[in-house]
Amino acid sequence: MASGPPPTAAEAYRPNKYVSLPAELDPDTYDASPEKRRAEAERLAIRARLKRQYQLQLNNPNPPAIIEDPALLRWAYARTQNIYPNFRPTPKTSFLGALFAIGPLLFWIGVFKAERDHKEKLIQEGKYKRPFSMF
Amino acid sequence: SELPKELLPGPYPRTPEERAAAAKKYNMRVEDYEPYPDEGFGYGDYPKLPNRSLHERDPWYQWDQQDMRHNWGQPMHWNFDMYIRNRVDTSPTPVPWHTMRKHFLVFLSTMLIMFGLGQIYPSYMPVGPKQYPFNDLYLEKGGDPNKEPPVVTHYEI
Repeated sequence: MASGPPPTAAEAYRPNKYVSLPAELDPDTYDASPEKRRAEAERLAIRARLKRQYQLQLNNPNPPAIIEDPALLRWAYARTQNIYPNFRPTPKTSFLGALFAIGPLLFWIGVFKAERDHKEKLIQEGKYKRPFSMF
Repeated sequence: SELPKELLPGPYPRTPEERAAAAKKYNMRVEDYEPYPDEGFGYGDYPKLPNRSLHERDPWYQWDQQDMRHNWGQPMHWNFDMYIRNRVDTSPTPVPWHTMRKHFLVFLSTMLIMFGLGQIYPSYMPVGPKQYPFNDLYLEKGGDPNKEPPVVTHYEI
């Protein structure tokens, strides 16, 4: 009995978060609709404006000491100083915080305590060999 | 930093006007701009760009920063420092990833199972104790040369 149409090459490839679909298999590459072209034109306009700003600063006869990249500054700010103002305790963040921050601490406390108690028990019973040597 | 407050990242945009302003701030089209979902993780209004590494960007285009393949003012991925060309690579592979994973797991599990079986059921060539000549090395082991050495036979008929 028929099992449906065979998978397309793009579906057979199954891109995931580790590999992305090659451009040749992506139907978007072959889509030449006016909407896509307008979108590309707008993106090109933004890119050209940014390039012009950068080149003006770069080729300035009195160039500034550093040409700051606002995208880089925003990236650094977002990752460092913008986290706490936008943090909100929700069930998901509380659970993940407990799992990754308190979990390992309690786990290793338990492991070390158990190992020490076991060794102490062996020593009390006289079964633990303690050679008086540095090596 | 010396950027004015309007140009720095801010809180999650709630109204369409805030979205448009955020898209303009990050130099993106309003249709392209998509912030991270507001789940309290601290992303704010930072745009969610596709998780593509820098390996996939065109190496022949004249970027402003050629090694980072990044243009001045272009919004950077949240994990930009992970996706640089020395680190994580998400470029398409000649063989699909699920095929590679399957082949690798089959090989690894076969090897591990065989090694485990070999540990549980070891098998060696049969060996016996070493046989020495000259009546079990009677003279070399300090036997009296005047006495008759005991006859040693290592076979049975």
